[in-house]
Amino acid sequence: MVTRIDDQARDDAARFVARMDADDWTGADEAELQAWLAADPLRQGLLLQVQAQWLALTPEAEAAAPVAPPVTAVEEEAEPASTGWGRRGVLAGMAASAALAFVGLRWSQTPAAYATRLGEIRRLPLPDGSVMTMNSGSELTVTMAARTREVQLAQGEAWFEVAKDAKRPFVVAAGNVRVRAVGTAFSVRRRETGVEILVTEGIVETWADGDQNLRMKLEAGDRAMLSAHAVIDYETGISSSVDRALAWRGGMIDLNGRTLYDAADEFNRYNQRQIIIADPRIAREEFDGLFRVNDPEGFAEAVKASLGVSLDTSNPNLIRIE
Amino acid sequence: MREGATPGEADQEFARRRRTALWVAREIVPHEARVRRWLARSRLSPEDVDEVMQEAYCRIAMLPSVDHIDRPLAYMFSITRNLLLRRLKRQQVVVLEAVSEIETWQDETPSPEEQAASRISYERVLAIIGRLPERCRRVVELRKIEGWSQKEIAVHLGMTEKAVEKQVWTGVRAIRDAWSQAEAQSENRMLGADLREARSW
Repeated sequence: MVTRIDDQARDDAARFVARMDADDWTGADEAELQAWLAADPLRQGLLLQVQAQWLALTPEAEAAAPVAPPVTAVEEEAEPASTGWGRRGVLAGMAASAALAFVGLRWSQTPAAYATRLGEIRRLPLPDGSVMTMNSGSELTVTMAARTREVQLAQGEAWFEVAKDAKRPFVVAAGNVRVRAVGTAFSVRRRETGVEILVTEGIVETWADGDQNLRMKLEAGDRAMLSAHAVIDYETGISSSVDRALAWRGGMIDLNGRTLYDAADEFNRYNQRQIIIADPRIAREEFDGLFRVNDPEGFAEAVKASLGVSLDTSNPNLIRIE
Repeated sequence: MREGATPGEADQEFARRRRTALWVAREIVPHEARVRRWLARSRLSPEDVDEVMQEAYCRIAMLPSVDHIDRPLAYMFSITRNLLLRRLKRQQVVVLEAVSEIETWQDETPSPEEQAASRISYERVLAIIGRLPERCRRVVELRKIEGWSQKEIAVHLGMTEKAVEKQVWTGVRAIRDAWSQAEAQSENRMLGADLREARSW
């Protein structure tokens, strides 16, 4: 395997760290950094390492200095004051050795964290024989224990093909919404308005933690949208539309009468190059077609051809539909 | 609809990244040599060790938050262990000895040398700052030792903020190199200590 982290990448990482060390991080800086990170997944790690090495030098000074980020106020946790470098190192070392012995006894329960980048769709076999397929920009952790199988969906969407094991229920948690299956296939997606569940096989049970009234059973071909306190939406017997909504598993977007606004949103989930609809009047136009997730250009061309709108593609990060 | 990164999103990402980096700076960086040494015992080449470390940092970088991690170093070991096992599987030639090493890491207790290692590299880093070119050294000292902001340094030294940032860039590179040299040395020293121990047993 070729080592992809070269001197150029190391220098770039240091440059971004120096930029972040100043007090005026802007949206443009963020966009530039995101583009750089997207070129190679290892860069995320490189950047974190270099930034941490820079910060590790004087944690005390960092803790004392005002660390509020520039434009709007975002809560930054206060760093605990430290009495000194060497002493802290020793204490941390002692605490860690206790931790190591503890974790050594319960390896199987250690949560495994997974994440997909923008545009990445990943199929992962799990230790119990289940298979999970993660959609673009998703983050989750999987904990396999003796009596339970648990997935915490922090962000995004994943489709689960659950291996049958009646003794170990498979539970997906998304916020306080829970979805439980024994042997079945279903997807869970965190959206702004709630948690969307699509069932492709078998039966799942879903509820909100702390609210028994929301408990309901969903069958293959059902779709439900739950918030923390309510069932927002429920449709049954819509197998073909469930399958269309899960076209991403094959790297496709299936627009079946979706509005242009929804469609653009869908493409923007997968691509650095974002689609913007400049004219609100065309945003509600409905659209059909099957597209590759990584082809926003192809989609924009199709929109141009069928709705007679014009495109502005001069910015490599944007496609404006006007 | 998203129009690239809005200022709010940029800030949130900035803050999240910084929280994670502070956590890594506090919990992982001082012990990185230990993790690397443990990886080196499974017969990985230094390049592979680098890449496993990088991948492990990637995993951490992508976490929405690190608040839930109670035992940072154990967490780091568990990520690297998984990555290492996967890598050994991919290489197909599974060195049995290597796998058994992986299973036994929890027996390690930090030795006084290990505890001292982070201290040594810190002093080394200070020495590196001392050897930086005059202007860069002034900037890095004010930033890292006095805790001034880049803006304050610019006013004080009569430089533009861009120029200060450029000196900081040089400083970041020097410190990064100092850490990796210190890690490599500590790795060698520890491996040497291992061999001596093995003989005396």
